[in-house]
Amino acid sequence: MDTQTQLDIAKLNDADRKELTQYLANEAQKSNIQQTVHGLADICWKKCITGKISSGRLDQPEEACAQNCVERWMDTNFAVLKHLETLRGQ
Amino acid sequence: MALFGSSSSAEASSPSSSQEIKASLIRQVQEEAAMSNARSLIGKVNEHCFDACVPTPGASLSAKESTCLSQCMEKYIGFWNATSRAYIARVSKESKSLGGADLSGVSL
Repeated sequence: MDTQTQLDIAKLNDADRKELTQYLANEAQKSNIQQTVHGLADICWKKCITGKISSGRLDQPEEACAQNCVERWMDTNFAVLKHLETLRGQ
Repeated sequence: MALFGSSSSAEASSPSSSQEIKASLIRQVQEEAAMSNARSLIGKVNEHCFDACVPTPGASLSAKESTCLSQCMEKYIGFWNATSRAYIARVSKESKSLGGADLSGVSL
């Protein structure tokens, strides 16, 4: 990206400015979700793919493990928060 | 998921209308988001597949190691997509039960 054209933001009209703001908010959220998924795939790969890799296809047990891993990770998240809440009340 | 986005840098004249500036900004953001996502993915693939396929590094990559790396890469991308589906499904379920936004239509 060395020849990036200099854009004059001041020339944006109100409607386009509003649309861009909304677009950027969506992109930021998407990017956040993607980063979380990168972290989750990292964690879950370590737990789910332990044997030798003999095929490029994701087989059924591996896919199920990925799903369980994500679900239990979320459960863990909630459990930690819940327990923290009870600790706070003590 | 487009890995590298579309790198159509055939922007000859500098955009001047509001419409053109908006379109140009959106294109730049798309390219950079795709690049950043690809970079994260490639980094993880490298880390995990090196672990899985090259246990004892030799003088060069063996044919077996190369095959393993290709398979591992494909498997990791499939695994990433499965993870993404599971995460989005769960988050949208949770936020729906809280009366929040419905994310069920979101795909990365």
